[in-house]
Amino acid sequence: MAEQTDDWGQLLAAANAGDARAYARFLGIVAPVLRGIVRARGAGLGEAACEDVLQEVLLAIHLKRHTWDADAPVRPWLFAIARYKVVDAFRARGRRIDLPIEDFVEVLAAEPERDPTEVADMAKMIGMLDGRSGTIVRKIGLEGATMAETGQALRMSEGAVRVALHRALKTLAVLRERHVE
Amino acid sequence: MRTDDLIRALAADTMPERPVAGAMLWVLVPALGGALLLLWLILGFRSDLLQAVSNPVALTRWVLAGALAVVSMRLALALARPEGGAQARLWPLAGVALLALGLLGWAYVTTPPGGRQMAMVGKTMWTCLLTIPLLSVLPVGGMLWALRRGATTVPARAGAVVGLAGSAAAAAVYALHCTEDSPLFYVTWYGVAILGVTLVSAAIGARVLRW
Repeated sequence: MAEQTDDWGQLLAAANAGDARAYARFLGIVAPVLRGIVRARGAGLGEAACEDVLQEVLLAIHLKRHTWDADAPVRPWLFAIARYKVVDAFRARGRRIDLPIEDFVEVLAAEPERDPTEVADMAKMIGMLDGRSGTIVRKIGLEGATMAETGQALRMSEGAVRVALHRALKTLAVLRERHVE
Repeated sequence: MRTDDLIRALAADTMPERPVAGAMLWVLVPALGGALLLLWLILGFRSDLLQAVSNPVALTRWVLAGALAVVSMRLALALARPEGGAQARLWPLAGVALLALGLLGWAYVTTPPGGRQMAMVGKTMWTCLLTIPLLSVLPVGGMLWALRRGATTVPARAGAVVGLAGSAAAAAVYALHCTEDSPLFYVTWYGVAILGVTLVSAAIGARVLRW
């Protein structure tokens, strides 16, 4: 368990220093754990809605990753974000839930669950972005294009793609906030 | 969009964000400069400032306001982290409040009964109650803006703490003008002004610090 914690911390520290591969691994490891938490809490909502909530949590983690203090343990930081966003997301979907922090510890032991479904919310939000930003997010996310490839396809410099992607993800969070409420 | 696709898009975005503490400092220096300038323009500094600084009782209000500002600012930075809501401790604030109340009690006892009311009401109560909130606008607004980069899970509490920090700093600035040196005056009315700003800032924080 302790070894695993270190691992999360090392990955996130590397990610915050700009290592995209470590970051992808970090998100890949925490996503199933968070999915388990969201499903355990929102069983009545259905799998697709739970996956939407999970994506909201992941986007929040992404946009707030600089608030993690590399000297502090990752889990309390991660679970505080997850808890805040999960409660918020369920409230926006008309469900009040109470989420004691102890629950996170329990669910952690549970079997990680696999990514099941294509879900609609995020795609809808991406559709609300301006054309170029939407294309960038789709190219990199769905098609797995690199920054350079995306830049070539859109006749933009790699740096400009980088900035545009960053802005687009921030806008997505704002759109979700407005849309769900 | 599948979650794995989202993760790919998120991982590709490696642009760093400025940490909250840096943003706070960046905004606080001009905000306090602005408050100083504002005070100087509308009221001016007290003419006997140098003597006042050497009078321990008068000096204490800068010490108290400064301590409150520093303690609250540290707390605001702690609350800017998501886990800060559960972990941050409020007792240092209570410590400063107790010191202020102790000073108030001491001043009450040592002021002759006939002079208490005059010392407390003073001559500039309304100036004080209006100017401190006015001088708070820049520092409180700036710090709220900086805190939006953070990820507080207790928006109202974070807003309150920012209100305390900004209005305490504003009170320290206002003290450069104010000649009411009795703690009966300054603990009371600076305190009322600070509490008022804190309440308003808590209400604003509850709205603008959500994410």
